Amino acid sequence: MNDQRNEDAGRGATALVEAILLVSPRPVTLSALLSATALDEPEARAVIEELERRYTENSSGIVLRRVAGGFQLATNPSCAEAVERFRKEARPAPLSGAAYEVLALVLYLGPLTRAGISATRGVNSDAVVRNLLDRNLLVEAGREETRPGAPALLDITEDFLLAAGAESRNDFPALDDLVDPEDVKRVRERLANAQPNAPAKGTG
Amino acid sequence: MRSSEGTEPRERALASFTVELDAYSGPYEGLLALILKDELEIFEVPLRELVALYRNTYSSPESPAPGALERDTDFVDSSTSLVLLKGRALAPVFEEGREEADEGALSLEDLEERLVTYLKIRHGAEALKERFARNVAFYSTGHALRPRPGRLRVSPDRLSNTIRRAFGRTAEPDVGHLGPITVTVEELVALIRSSLARGPLSFEDLVRDMDRLRSAVAFAAALSLASEGRLALSQHEPFGPLTLEPKE
Repeated sequence: MNDQRNEDAGRGATALVEAILLVSPRPVTLSALLSATALDEPEARAVIEELERRYTENSSGIVLRRVAGGFQLATNPSCAEAVERFRKEARPAPLSGAAYEVLALVLYLGPLTRAGISATRGVNSDAVVRNLLDRNLLVEAGREETRPGAPALLDITEDFLLAAGAESRNDFPALDDLVDPEDVKRVRERLANAQPNAPAKGTG
Repeated sequence: MRSSEGTEPRERALASFTVELDAYSGPYEGLLALILKDELEIFEVPLRELVALYRNTYSSPESPAPGALERDTDFVDSSTSLVLLKGRALAPVFEEGREEADEGALSLEDLEERLVTYLKIRHGAEALKERFARNVAFYSTGHALRPRPGRLRVSPDRLSNTIRRAFGRTAEPDVGHLGPITVTVEELVALIRSSLARGPLSFEDLVRDMDRLRSAVAFAAALSLASEGRLALSQHEPFGPLTLEPKE
């Protein structure tokens, strides 16, 4: 009898969490989930794990994602074309190479001002930044008060984390790990060779 | 195509010109509109390819079609504007008050650090692109609620951004640090062409004995010749050697 009651209670908790996630267009944080369902944390975490087992890409048209600091029910990517046909909705146009560079800059070195972004890339990036603000992938998240005019500082958004499928900023590999040390060495050598007084080491 | 004489409204000479580029496919006028509205980045539009497309579409060994002069004029007018826009967009921007605004003061270590940072960011951008591609096909099950009538929220920041965009103008780049201009692009075009007569040429060799200003103008001259199809520029990897090859 007790087992039956526990099972009912368990099913109820799962249903509650499932319902909240189903209706939310944004990722739901654990604290929001606890507040809406009145579950305690271990119980909610157990339910999330159960839902993750239930909603996998191999077995369901719905998947449970851990993104942007919360949990989100989303359609299985393998069903995307059918979903797009049904919703008469095209995927957003892909970003340009320059846009990914700006996003990577803000992700790894941000928050940054527009001028800081342009200085690092070596070209004016204002148009790219505007596009990313319009897409809500970047946001003005404060001001650099120590600089003249207190320029706005740009940072990544929740939509950025969603688009990248990341839980948080810490979910990305370290910048140094993305580059082969040999590439860095080659750049340093080329630069040294390019100096007017450097000894010749082959053709630039 | 009709001429613009008389009281009839002038037809759009380029209305029938369509382009097929990686970044855009459709009417040329649509491409211009997207660029002017900042919905397509000028960096992504290969201007040389655009000119080649135009020439392939309209070059004819026979006598010019009626209205060709007007169409060619419109194309030259719009494409030179694109060159100007791209040039302005590519002009370096330095933050006021930063020490490195005076580029002459940049030490070798600083330059090295900057290049290495940029290389890392380039790799980071590539990784990000792959990550975005893997996650593009997830659709949330929930739907965003529409704001209630009369409760549409306006973000002050977004509003001020929009106003700035509507009334803002691109600032002219400051060229005060360049000093008097003592060399012209034409002179360096002539130098490059005579050097290329002997075969492919390394850009580094070309500018080896030049000062910074002449090196910069030599680069502009090389770009100009490349855009005219008179030479080919090749650089097989970022920061790698740049080679000029004759095409005539």
